[in-house]
Amino acid sequence: MPTPHALLIKFPGTNCDNETSRALREAGFTADVLPVALLESSALDKAQMVVFSGGFSYGDYVMSGRIAQLITKNKLGDKLQTFVQNGGYAMGICNGFQILTQLDLLPRGSLVHNESGHFICKWAGLKRNAASPYLNGLPDEFELPIAHAEGRFVGVDADAKSYVANGRAALLYTSNVNGSSEQIAGLQDETGRVFGLMPHPERFMARSHHYDPDWNGAEKGWGYYMFKSVREAMN
Amino acid sequence: MSATPATRADFTHIPITNLSGEELLSLSKKMKLSLSQEDMLVIQKIFKEENREPTEVELEVIAQTWSEHCKHRIFGAQIEHTLDGKTETVDGLFKTYIRAVTYRIMEKKPDFVLSAFVDNAGFVKLDDNLAVCLKAETHNHPSAIEPYAGANTGLGGVIRDILGAGKGAKPVASLDVFCFGPPDTKQEDIKAKDVIHPLGIMRGVVRGVRDYGNRMGIPTTSGAIQFDDTYIYNPLVFCGTMGVIPIKDIAKEIKPGHILIAAGGRTGKDGLKGATFSSVSLTTSSHEEDQTAVQIGNPIEEKKVADFILAAREQGLIQFVTDCGAGGFSSAAGEMLSEVGGEVWLENAPLKAPDLKSWQIFISESQERMVMAVEEKDVPAMQKIADIYETEMFRLGKADGTGILKVTHHGEPVCTLDCRKLHEAPRRFMTGEWTTTNADEGDVFIPVEDEATGNELLKALLADFAIVSREPIIREYDHEVQGNTVLKPLAGASGDAPQDGSVVRIDGSDQLAAMAVALLPEWGKTHPHLMGRACVDECFRQLIAMGCNPDRIAILDNFCMGNPDDHRELGALVETVKGMAITAETYGAPFVSGKDSFYNYFKTDEGPISIPVTLLVSGFGVIEKPGHVIGASIRGSGRKLALVGEASSGLAGSVFARIIKKGADDEDVSFPVPPEFEEEIALTYYRNYYELVKKGVVLSAHDISEGGLAVALAEMGFSGKAGLKVDLSSVPTRDDTPAAEHLFGETPGRIIFEFEEKHTHLVEEAGFTVIGDTTDDGFVTITNGEDKLIHAKLSELKPIWQGGLTAWY
Repeated sequence: MPTPHALLIKFPGTNCDNETSRALREAGFTADVLPVALLESSALDKAQMVVFSGGFSYGDYVMSGRIAQLITKNKLGDKLQTFVQNGGYAMGICNGFQILTQLDLLPRGSLVHNESGHFICKWAGLKRNAASPYLNGLPDEFELPIAHAEGRFVGVDADAKSYVANGRAALLYTSNVNGSSEQIAGLQDETGRVFGLMPHPERFMARSHHYDPDWNGAEKGWGYYMFKSVREAMN
Repeated sequence: MSATPATRADFTHIPITNLSGEELLSLSKKMKLSLSQEDMLVIQKIFKEENREPTEVELEVIAQTWSEHCKHRIFGAQIEHTLDGKTETVDGLFKTYIRAVTYRIMEKKPDFVLSAFVDNAGFVKLDDNLAVCLKAETHNHPSAIEPYAGANTGLGGVIRDILGAGKGAKPVASLDVFCFGPPDTKQEDIKAKDVIHPLGIMRGVVRGVRDYGNRMGIPTTSGAIQFDDTYIYNPLVFCGTMGVIPIKDIAKEIKPGHILIAAGGRTGKDGLKGATFSSVSLTTSSHEEDQTAVQIGNPIEEKKVADFILAAREQGLIQFVTDCGAGGFSSAAGEMLSEVGGEVWLENAPLKAPDLKSWQIFISESQERMVMAVEEKDVPAMQKIADIYETEMFRLGKADGTGILKVTHHGEPVCTLDCRKLHEAPRRFMTGEWTTTNADEGDVFIPVEDEATGNELLKALLADFAIVSREPIIREYDHEVQGNTVLKPLAGASGDAPQDGSVVRIDGSDQLAAMAVALLPEWGKTHPHLMGRACVDECFRQLIAMGCNPDRIAILDNFCMGNPDDHRELGALVETVKGMAITAETYGAPFVSGKDSFYNYFKTDEGPISIPVTLLVSGFGVIEKPGHVIGASIRGSGRKLALVGEASSGLAGSVFARIIKKGADDEDVSFPVPPEFEEEIALTYYRNYYELVKKGVVLSAHDISEGGLAVALAEMGFSGKAGLKVDLSSVPTRDDTPAAEHLFGETPGRIIFEFEEKHTHLVEEAGFTVIGDTTDDGFVTITNGEDKLIHAKLSELKPIWQGGLTAWY
């Protein structure tokens, strides 16, 4: 297969687009950052993956990801759903996860303010809870940095529990970092091609990204293997 | 319910040509111009010569331009300074001790500083293609009366400085430094009404910085906090940002015919007279009357304008750019048109409310606005990029080569000023005096002879607000966005141990940039000259410890002080500047930018309360290879520890001395003796240390600062990888240093580092003394020959240090 193409949609306030597109390229994608003002439905035609990166789209003043969802819906209608049905991949990181959740591309639920009421910037232990094309190349437990104020996943009724049981909750924290129900850190849709997570894989691409200068868990950072996994799943 | 936008200019003339000096001064006060009688007389002369009365727009423009905030007239003043009875004339602090030092260093190192003092920020060379710049600003007065918005726009403002440096630098990291009253201050001890409690200030300020930096996507990687009673009434908030730019885009020039484009946020009544407001002292009425002087931030607006500017710069469209800071369009357009002259069209500015008067549009400090000069033919291309990034832009004016600033509003001239006259503020003449502290008495002797005493003192230091972990605050800032932060503010094996600064990779370069800050205001009260020297040393030394090349470090000076008309306070400032200049020149560390903030005193019913003269030195340096990045956390047991520098007696100003004094009933407990160090010796050590870094010998390194050797060792051990054991009898000293001063003294010039035993000969050849080992027992142990002075379990010490702020934030 030729080099897959990732389309990264940038909203006003999206701010991880540069390092995320860099990470995608490192893992073997071609990647374009497209400001949403230039977004047309035909933009998806040549992409194999749509990426929503981290940031504060439109400031997240209303509810994280809400305005970005409205604008995207307005511009693309149900094109994103069709794109996924036709085999396309969609990845949302941090604010992108919030946007994917709003867009109904992931199991229902909300990402709300952390239990502590604080923004949290630290590294978190993670646990793979189900098979996922994004997690194939990763060990059962690994770590990634998190940086969010609204990363606490809450489901309706017993949804969170069922996501853990049925594997929609592909990624869990190994401890309670933000109050997420069932320590959910990332979700996937039933195809596995849509994946959203609060942690930032693009910030752990190299060993030198790790806080411990003697870290030697792998040749590269765990984030690299996440992008690499989905890249390889496309073959 | 929207009102119809005004279609006419809204301004009046203010008759001044027939007023007496007294009347001029009272007019200045009534209009809140913050101009002296002498200034007003000079203004009167200008308009008498033109045979007309000024408009209120013109008076406001001159007041902004000549404000201390914009013109730094105290750093330009001639000062009669008396030290210990001997008087000298200082012909401008900036010229004599800052610019001259930098120019001399630039002559010796021609290929390092690319620009200093001429732009929004100074640039140094990173590699053949890229340059790095750093700028730090204060936002003290606004943060005192509205902590969240004040700090929010403080960071927003300095980010715009970077966007307006060169033809638009890319912000890559930020720093924040705060001085607050102690969190445990009792409400009844605050001697003025309406002063916000330090806890309210701290929480508001931190959240303000958080919400701007995080939303902008700029990692906040470095910082510091000082707590002291003297900051209850006047908290200090320093924000700094580092930027990167291609070297070819540093030089900028505005030419006749260029169109001035303004972009970003709309103009409103928020932030009126911020420049003049910050140039007077605070009083209780400030809390009631000056709310409109505080701006309101909207980081997403700034993010959009930042994306716009960086894209426009990459396409080569920008000829000149600067930010709208204090003074708004008046200072931005005024600065851009200061030589070339030109027209400004106020009616083109999109407004937040329809009823702004002409002067309000021109000097409003509404946030998130940038002004660019472009060629007429490039305006459509600019509009296209503005549309893509969803930011508003409009034609603000045009450069015309007349040397005259002509501001019109709906076609009516509201301000016509000769730019040259405008930028020549009258010089001030001031007086300073300082008397050196008498150290004949000697420090009170505190015996540390046994482990119990030593352990107890170490725990007290680790629990002190001066030293406790800043973790709850650091975690509020995204310090990893942009994916380039390789040395994080908290690191080590468990990711929560303190570091000396931070290091970021720079996209497009193999070399890295480090950032560090130092401020030691306790010495500002008693030993300002030493404070000046020690701040430069500490900042430089932290950068050295992290692996910077000693020849590629540049620094900034940010001063805050109380009342400059008080001779003793101004004297302390002069002494600080003199001390700072000596160390910077010896180290060859040029000042590339700086800023000052005066009138940080508060008039309570019981009299004015001033802050001590406070100097923040922030520095940035080049780390040439990723392998040279050195963290401050011990990496393993069975290694050796060595010391850079020497201990000396003298506990004046130390955290240890403060703790002992606080706990003592006896008023006579005093520590008048300052520590000693010599810059020439220190620099030699730093150079030798760097040779070891290049050879890969240094595994970890930490500077010795607040809390002294014992605290530094404990902090290195908080990585959890090993214990540390040091014998004081092997530590080199300048004199017969007693144990307490060895353990807790804060003599500058010292770094502890970890290395493999097999490299001992290299370490010794470099002139350093091996002082101990890393162990696997989990203790920090300090002996003096046979005597055990400290033997404490790191797992018991760490929670004391780590949890110190948790209850307060």
